[in-house]
Amino acid sequence: MAQDIEDWANRLKHLTDNDPTIAAMGKYYTCTFMYDMEDRKVIVEMHDGKVKNINTDPRPLDAYDFALRASARTWREFAEPLPKPMFHGIWAASFREDLRLEGNLLVLMQNLRNFTVQFELLRKCGVPV
Amino acid sequence: MARHSPVTGRYVTLEVDGLEYKVFYLHNGEGTPLICQHTAGCHNHQWRGLLEDEEITKNYHVIAYDLPRHGKSDPPLNTEWWKSEYRLTADHFVNFIVALCDALDLGDPIFMGSSFGGNVALQLALRRPDRFRAVIPVEAADYAPGFFLDWWHHPHANAAQVCASGVWDLMSPHSPEKDRWATWHYYTQGSETFKGDLYFYSVDHDLRNSLKDIDGRKCPVVMMTGTYDYLTPPEAADNTARQIKDGVYIEMTDIGHFPMSENYPLFRVYLKEALRIIRERTGA
Repeated sequence: MAQDIEDWANRLKHLTDNDPTIAAMGKYYTCTFMYDMEDRKVIVEMHDGKVKNINTDPRPLDAYDFALRASARTWREFAEPLPKPMFHGIWAASFREDLRLEGNLLVLMQNLRNFTVQFELLRKCGVPV
Repeated sequence: MARHSPVTGRYVTLEVDGLEYKVFYLHNGEGTPLICQHTAGCHNHQWRGLLEDEEITKNYHVIAYDLPRHGKSDPPLNTEWWKSEYRLTADHFVNFIVALCDALDLGDPIFMGSSFGGNVALQLALRRPDRFRAVIPVEAADYAPGFFLDWWHHPHANAAQVCASGVWDLMSPHSPEKDRWATWHYYTQGSETFKGDLYFYSVDHDLRNSLKDIDGRKCPVVMMTGTYDYLTPPEAADNTARQIKDGVYIEMTDIGHFPMSENYPLFRVYLKEALRIIRERTGA
């Protein structure tokens, strides 16, 4: 059953803001990205390694730098504690599954270290789909 | 009392295709030479587990070198290398490995390489089966497109972290965190070279029409691939091995693209099996 999206957003914020690996190099981890999970979309706004806002109901003109788009099924696989092969990261899933990386990928690359660490926090808080 | 490792390092100077290289290598052990190639944009610390494996080094002289432009092996000594874009080719890679084996006076070595090292192992089996006792292509395939990307070398991003975090999910989530972060750390150090290495890996290396010319009866080919490898997944390695006469494919469960570095205790189980097959087939 899909989690309540506000509860989920609060959990992701809490995990991110208290993650020591992100905090070790959190300065300048500043970008805005969309998780497009087919049934739900969210826009996460990061500023210096902390969650500034999670927009759980994006409107057509809400801006973001880049997006990760995949089926709800794929997002559920991402959230497994030990994901199966090819669901264990964004590169794996974009090469071998249905994940698409879109938008200004330079911003993703500029923030790749912390974005990758944060993405794996989904294994702890799950996904709202 | 100092806690020294039995592993020692040394330099050897050699010339390949007109280029002079001073090559650094780590080594330990006695017996059949087992010469090891690290992955693209990385260095010989990936082999740290194997170099100190007491059981294997009892019977194998393990040599893990740094390819020129990696680790402690500098770029060529006799050219203004900074005036051109680095792109590794299959010809030069093969010629270098043979020249290094000659310079170290290695008789009948086993060559093991991972990723681009695995791909060049296939090239060696094709071009120089006479020079090697056997090859162990780890995380390899006849063709591995898609990784020759500008992102590895982009001046507007932190290239060190792009290279390191960009290969993060080549590793398995089952592998110990400390060993995955050690591998990440190594990858922050090779960002000037990574893209050029991948020219060989994803562009110049293409053996799709040549596998039938590799004879695993002359030079055994024992391929090993982890189930979490998204670049050359298990089915690609299996497909490659099937087309090589007497080719062998060993699937490594729950491990990724840097098996010797991300989870050596698990990797060594499969490596010992590969070495056993080679002993059986070569009568050594």
